[in-house]
Amino acid sequence: MRRLTFLAAAGTLLAGAAGCGRDEVAHYRVPKEAPSPEPAARPAAFAANARPSGALPPPPVPAGSAALTWTLPAGWTQEAGGSAMRYATLRAPVAGKIDVSVTVLPGDAGGELANVNRWRNQIGLPPVDAAGLQSARKPVRTEAGTLSLYDFTSEGGEKRRLVAGLALVDGNSWFVKMTGEAGAVGQARSDFLKLVESIRREVVQ
Amino acid sequence: MKWFSDLLWDVLTSLKLTIACLLALMVLVVACTLAQVPLGTWGAVEVFMYGWLVWWHPPGTDWAIPVLPGGALVFAVLLANLISAQVRRLEWSWKKSGIWIAHLGLVLLITGGFITGRAQRETQLSIEEGQTVNFVESPREMELALIDRTDASYDDVYSIPARSLARRESVAIPGTPVVLLVKGYFRNCDLAMRQPGDGASLATQGIGPTVTVVPQPPVSRDEEIDRSAAFVEPVVAGQSMGTWLVSNGLGKDQSFSAGGRTYSIVMRNLREYLPYAVTLKRFRHDVYTGTDIPKNFSSLVRIDNPSRGESRDVLIYMNQPLRYEGKTFYQASFGKNDTLSVLQVVENPGWRLPYISCVLVVVGLLVQFGISFRRAILGQASRAAAAEAGRRTHATTEA
Repeated sequence: MRRLTFLAAAGTLLAGAAGCGRDEVAHYRVPKEAPSPEPAARPAAFAANARPSGALPPPPVPAGSAALTWTLPAGWTQEAGGSAMRYATLRAPVAGKIDVSVTVLPGDAGGELANVNRWRNQIGLPPVDAAGLQSARKPVRTEAGTLSLYDFTSEGGEKRRLVAGLALVDGNSWFVKMTGEAGAVGQARSDFLKLVESIRREVVQ
Repeated sequence: MKWFSDLLWDVLTSLKLTIACLLALMVLVVACTLAQVPLGTWGAVEVFMYGWLVWWHPPGTDWAIPVLPGGALVFAVLLANLISAQVRRLEWSWKKSGIWIAHLGLVLLITGGFITGRAQRETQLSIEEGQTVNFVESPREMELALIDRTDASYDDVYSIPARSLARRESVAIPGTPVVLLVKGYFRNCDLAMRQPGDGASLATQGIGPTVTVVPQPPVSRDEEIDRSAAFVEPVVAGQSMGTWLVSNGLGKDQSFSAGGRTYSIVMRNLREYLPYAVTLKRFRHDVYTGTDIPKNFSSLVRIDNPSRGESRDVLIYMNQPLRYEGKTFYQASFGKNDTLSVLQVVENPGWRLPYISCVLVVVGLLVQFGISFRRAILGQASRAAAAEAGRRTHATTEA
């Protein structure tokens, strides 16, 4: 009988431990937080923005209050979108495989470290920590604010290179990225930097 | 019935079960290590070590087949085996006291592992210079938060762990007339601005109708976080408030009013509110002169705890954490041009147990060794005395 009691107690403990869950609704009464700006009022601001001649054709902007625009280097072309995630796809006049894109996402899009490591992963490089991120970051001043620029080249025989910048503007994360064969990216890099430096704010009408 | 309990008792106290558990642990360790490639460190540990069973989901099916015992089950069996064998085989005598103490240490070690696995919480406190924060956030887990902002002086926050949304159709918010109907949940997804060719959105209110959700597999790298999203329909006293898209990728909360109250709804990192506030007074990131090599990271914070009437400054720096009210705050990261400090916050009610258990095992082994040593010395002395007595008897006889 004592054995049965012991076994039953052990079984009850196990069942209790297995049943421990954290799925219940928790309630906190906390001091007032400042409410965030109201996105529910935003859809009206999603309407197509005015397009200045010779500059970026602006598709819908997530936060609605401002879009970014820039000046294309000589010989470069661009088209709006290009995929579900893209704001614009740019074409550089260089030989070799190269892809230049502008993407905008609402919010911080996971944060700078996560995005930089995602880029590094795309060209087969290991992730960096916060200190590595700090040393790799090159700030570029633009009229729209400071943009963090990164330049990574992969290891191995067939080198791939990625030059990309990101900035948080009005609550949206903007990504300007050029990636492809290291040689082609190297040829287009100076023009790409000019494009990045020309980024400016375009007030939504 | 007796034959069954005898059989169970024999199995539970057998050395073979101990060896089987140790073998299972070896297999789990190898499998867990290999699984870190697709699942990431935390995902693999959760599946192989914290789970009771390791499940395999055949591709293209909804089946879940258990393929291995999980670490929790193996350790539970090992613990039961250890205790049972101790009770059955070892005698209650001071001669065995060292073994009892050492076994108690092992029991505490395994118990500490359970407590850590079940109760340890690792969160972060991200704070900018001059900012005051009264909550910590999970770096990996998300929550769906419904916030009643009606009162002018406080907010009522109702937090639902996001992962639980996957198996729920509705969540009744206790103490309120609100029921949240869960119409879709995505542990990880991409968000894109809705294009003309995209299909209709489930969302009818807020920012949702302008955003497309593209499901993605959960992230596996430790430095990445899931972008979770859900479509939820708040129903207040039987009246629908429309369907809203919430996601930590959207970054902002959205609001609706019903029954004279104003609610915000947001998907964000899972928060735990603290009964005290932390203010970052200064963050320092020192480097060695002429280099970018970090020399020191430190955060000077002020702790304001009204329940203790306490307001004091604390300097947190590398390897010098703040231990406060059961939580340990470590300097972990930084950002925003050295104006943002990120503190890793660890809460583990069983953190002392491994130290206690190690001391007990060492003490137990020393005690047992001492007892054996004493017995050996005494035995040798008595044998020597017997031999001496024998020699004297022999000499007397010879004389």
